[in-house]
Amino acid sequence: MDAATRPVGPGRGAVAARLNVTSTGPVDAPVLLLAHGFGCDQGMWRGVLPHFAADHRVVRYDLMGAGGSDTTAYDPERYATLDGHAGDLLAVCAELDLRDVTVVAHSVSTMMAVLAAVREPGRFRQLVLVAPNPYFLDDPASGYSGGFSAADLAEVSAALDSNYFTWAEAFAPLIMGVPDEPGLGEELTASFCRVDPDIARQLLRTMFTTDFRPLLPEVTTPTLVLQCRADAMVPPSVGDHLHAHLAGSTLVQLSAVGHCPHISAPAETAAAIRAHLLTLR
Amino acid sequence: MRDYAELWEHAPSGQLLLDDDGLITAVNATFASWTGHAVADLLGTPFPALLPIGDRVLYTTHSLPQLMVTGRVAEASVQVNGADGRRHPALLSATRVTAGSSGAETRIVLVDARQRRRYEEELLAARRRAEESQALIAQAEAELTALVHHDSLTGLLNRAGLLHALLGRLGEGRTDRADGAVPTVLFLDLDGFKTVNDALGHTSGDELLQVVARRLRRASRAGADVARFAGDEFVVLDDVTPSAAGGVADRLLDVLAEPVVLQGVELVLAASVGICSAEVPVAPADLTDAADLLLRRADTAMYRAKAQGRGRWEAHRPGTADPGAERLVLLEQLRAAIRGDELRVHYQPRQHLASGTMSGVEALVRWQHPTRGLLQPAEFIDAAEESGVIRDLGAWVLTEAVAQAVRWDAAGGPPGLQVAVNLSARQLADPDLVPRVAGVLALAGLPASRLVLEITETALMSDPDEALGTLQELRSLGVLLAVDDFGTGYSSFTYLKQFPVDELKIDRSFVTGMTTDAGDRAIVASCVHLAHAMGLVAVAEGVETADERDALRALGCDQAQGYFFSRPVPSSELPVPGGVVPT
Repeated sequence: MDAATRPVGPGRGAVAARLNVTSTGPVDAPVLLLAHGFGCDQGMWRGVLPHFAADHRVVRYDLMGAGGSDTTAYDPERYATLDGHAGDLLAVCAELDLRDVTVVAHSVSTMMAVLAAVREPGRFRQLVLVAPNPYFLDDPASGYSGGFSAADLAEVSAALDSNYFTWAEAFAPLIMGVPDEPGLGEELTASFCRVDPDIARQLLRTMFTTDFRPLLPEVTTPTLVLQCRADAMVPPSVGDHLHAHLAGSTLVQLSAVGHCPHISAPAETAAAIRAHLLTLR
Repeated sequence: MRDYAELWEHAPSGQLLLDDDGLITAVNATFASWTGHAVADLLGTPFPALLPIGDRVLYTTHSLPQLMVTGRVAEASVQVNGADGRRHPALLSATRVTAGSSGAETRIVLVDARQRRRYEEELLAARRRAEESQALIAQAEAELTALVHHDSLTGLLNRAGLLHALLGRLGEGRTDRADGAVPTVLFLDLDGFKTVNDALGHTSGDELLQVVARRLRRASRAGADVARFAGDEFVVLDDVTPSAAGGVADRLLDVLAEPVVLQGVELVLAASVGICSAEVPVAPADLTDAADLLLRRADTAMYRAKAQGRGRWEAHRPGTADPGAERLVLLEQLRAAIRGDELRVHYQPRQHLASGTMSGVEALVRWQHPTRGLLQPAEFIDAAEESGVIRDLGAWVLTEAVAQAVRWDAAGGPPGLQVAVNLSARQLADPDLVPRVAGVLALAGLPASRLVLEITETALMSDPDEALGTLQELRSLGVLLAVDDFGTGYSSFTYLKQFPVDELKIDRSFVTGMTTDAGDRAIVASCVHLAHAMGLVAVAEGVETADERDALRALGCDQAQGYFFSRPVPSSELPVPGGVVPT
């Protein structure tokens, strides 16, 4: 964990504790809420963080089942759809009383952000969707290509299973000192991208099989879409689909390759976000 | 010096170097021979392309970020696509190092893991089987819960099941749903079910309940909960907007209105429905109370619907207090008030119109409520009448008014001053009424002719035969009788002629309109004529102006009372002795 990053509060709220919410930057500055993607945790934002921490209150958290989240609070029914996760995002906003929030979401979290913005539009200033995909499966009837077939989905589940024990072991409870004790950075690094395999399995199935395309026209929050080159998770045509169906959205093509531009090209990603950040309305 | 190039080429593991974009820049002979790929075909291609799609996704979303951030990945289980399409299980480890000006380089080591992968697959299969058996146990538990929560006769939810469903919905109930739907209870009671049960037997009664259950299920949305609450009471629970709830009730009433044939007899069912929409959100600690309140309010609304006739629905009116609960509290307080010292009698004088002298007073009850102040009868008489508390209340007023008449006599009040006391329909039907009146008069020592009992026209006509007998007994005591609120009921003149009454009190609504409305004036005139034709005294109520008094005088009306002469006042404020009412 970065030295400037502090777990929220000394009197950390229930949501903050459950989802390992951390905050950095001036508390009265505009809010950037960073939501990480599938298979990883909030640590993936570390390259982007320094570009915003001086003039933004940057809040990060771990998705339920990832990183330092409290998996004893996992309820399979609640998280059977992305609604439960979207509810978590809103709960973080509510507990920390975040207003006029710019959400920067990656991968599966992009659709959680979309759900949250449809449910509570007044909460958000802007959505920044990094490598979003509203529907991973191909839908030949509508001419939509999400990049995956139903058979591919089975393969992905099997791949998760084949790493089950490695992941399960990696997710064994961390032995940690007091959270705000300095010098924990390296120890956390060793467990970076911890994911509970059972929870990941459900999330993977949900994110692959849920078609979020119908939700897109309901989004009224201004949206920035960042698309990468050669992203194994997102075919190029998906960016156009999003741009066409998210009213008033901006589509930016990054030169970064792969699915995680905030990791492979943090400077370019940060610059693209900053160039399109909406200032106070 | 050893030949490290040789070690690289023929190391016991497949080895690859990747550039910053994940493209293969070098690959060793071990990997090439193991997978069947030619080295030249691999160079410059993206490494993830060698992985089947599932592993590619996990490599992209999990291993690669880990590698980029921490610089290493240890023993990820993957398969590598061979040139012939076969998959080669392997353990992937990697490090990422910054190599001078050329940027970062990724070094990948792949170890054959056929054996290990097989073990892991078996372990995982065992684990999944264990999870399945756990799921079976959970399913058995769920089935047991279902039994506990369902009514065996109809298969609908029972009371416990309904409560469970209701608590669930209230717990989730949000105010910000786009469609505005909130958990809504439709409480349904069959009209006249008891008659069917009594006439056709319990088996037919049960069959009827099953028919009703099927119809309610059919008429409700798939997501709705339908319950048999008790006996012939059913509840439909659904998330609907308050404005749409009436439509749901209409649909339920419609399907129930189709005839049912039982034992060759065609029955037409009807039901009454009470609706109450939940006020959400509900705090977790308040869920049980909120559920109870919702059901009670719907029940109360149902009774209101039933009171208006068969086949109707009524909705709870939000913002109003719970009438049922409020009424119970009121009655409890009223009982205490009768026992305690909170009731008062105020007296309103009446005047001989011809002479201007006071002819008598009407005793009117007031309730000095400890917190709500002085209450008028309108605020508690109906509840008292419906509950039977009216008997004790009426007895108290009668006793007090008679005692007051005796006190006035003792203080030298006008001789023969009459005291009028109201009797309700329920009191009139009370078999103890006549002996009680006789007892009160005897105990106080007041001549019966000084007491006037006023009975509304409506009360008299609700059961005229019964009333006739009671009135005759009262009359035989020597008590005078008046028909109150005359003109507002549906008097049968046949009965009116038979009733041994002494006065007709003309309802205030006609008196109020008589100076402006010719129709009202005609009615008052008719009442006066009718009274006189039957040998009765005509008394006008609600006189508020000198014009009204003069008009009544002109019509020949005998007596009058109203604010123009005096409001009802405590006995101490009455202009007695003296007996002249200021005009």
